[in-house]
Order: sequence, then structure tokens, then C-alpha cells
Amino acid sequence: MSIQLDEAYYTLLHELQAIDFVLVELTLYLDTHPHDDAALQQFNQFAELRKKVAHHYEANYGPLLQFGRSPSPGSWKWSEPPWPWQV
Amino acid sequence: MNNDQVRYYEPFRGPFDPCPPIGVKSYVVPPNQFVTFQPPNWPQFSPYDALRLGTLWQPLYSPYGSR
Repeated sequence: MSIQLDEAYYTLLHELQAIDFVLVELTLYLDTHPHDDAALQQFNQFAELRKKVAHHYEANYGPLLQFGRSPSPGSWKWSEPPWPWQV
Repeated sequence: MNNDQVRYYEPFRGPFDPCPPIGVKSYVVPPNQFVTFQPPNWPQFSPYDALRLGTLWQPLYSPYGSR
């Protein structure tokens, strides 16, 4: 039984990608501006938000990361389709 | 929107140049060339726009449109 790639799946994935990109940009910015508290606060906000969105995604569609960084309740979903290039 | 990041030049054409003339060529000088150290509190795009446009910081956006 593979997951349904419905509208909700893609909007959730899109949100996760947008948050991840912001986190990447803020990480690079904070590397050179470690004392910028506004950016640091924004970074922590987005990190918190990312945790929620990832948790929501993994509860519905399976693990995002491997080696224990994502739960895999019920069955070993890691090798089941869809693979990233099939999404 | 006219893109002030694009600059144009005309390559030299010799009288015996075998290839058909391209005429005017263009190249992009992105805004990050003019920024030494990024100032704090720059305006940002929304997350979705940032993902689409390729940068979080509005002043650094470079359309780099295809000719």
C-alpha cells in the first residue's frame, strides 16, 4: 500500500521545502553575522516550525530521513515507493 | 521591467569572419557584486517566493532571464 500523492501531500511538501530553503539562507547569513539577534530569532522560529511540519508530514506519509532521524512506525516504509524522483 | 543588471556589448567583427554575426551580446552583473558585507535587517521575500526566486534577500535577487 503506497501513499496517495494528493493535493495535501504536495502543499505540505512545498511548505517544507520553503521552510528548509529559508533555514539554509539564514544559516549562511548567521555564519557571517553571528550576533544578528533578529536573524537568530527568525532562524529559531523557522526551526521550530520545520519540526512541526516535518512531524505532520512523517505522521501521514512516512519517514523523511533515515538512520533513526525519522520514525517508521508500523512497517519499514523506507524502501517503499514513491522514491524522491517519483514524487 | 527593464533589468539594470544586464549589460550589453558588441563583439568585434572582422571582414573575413566566417561565422554569421551575433551582433549584440549581453551578460548579467548580479547585485551581490556591489555588496561587500551584507547589512543586517535586509528586506526579505516570503518563504514561498524565496524558494521560487532563489534568494531570501530582496536586494540580492537577480532574474537572469533567458534571452
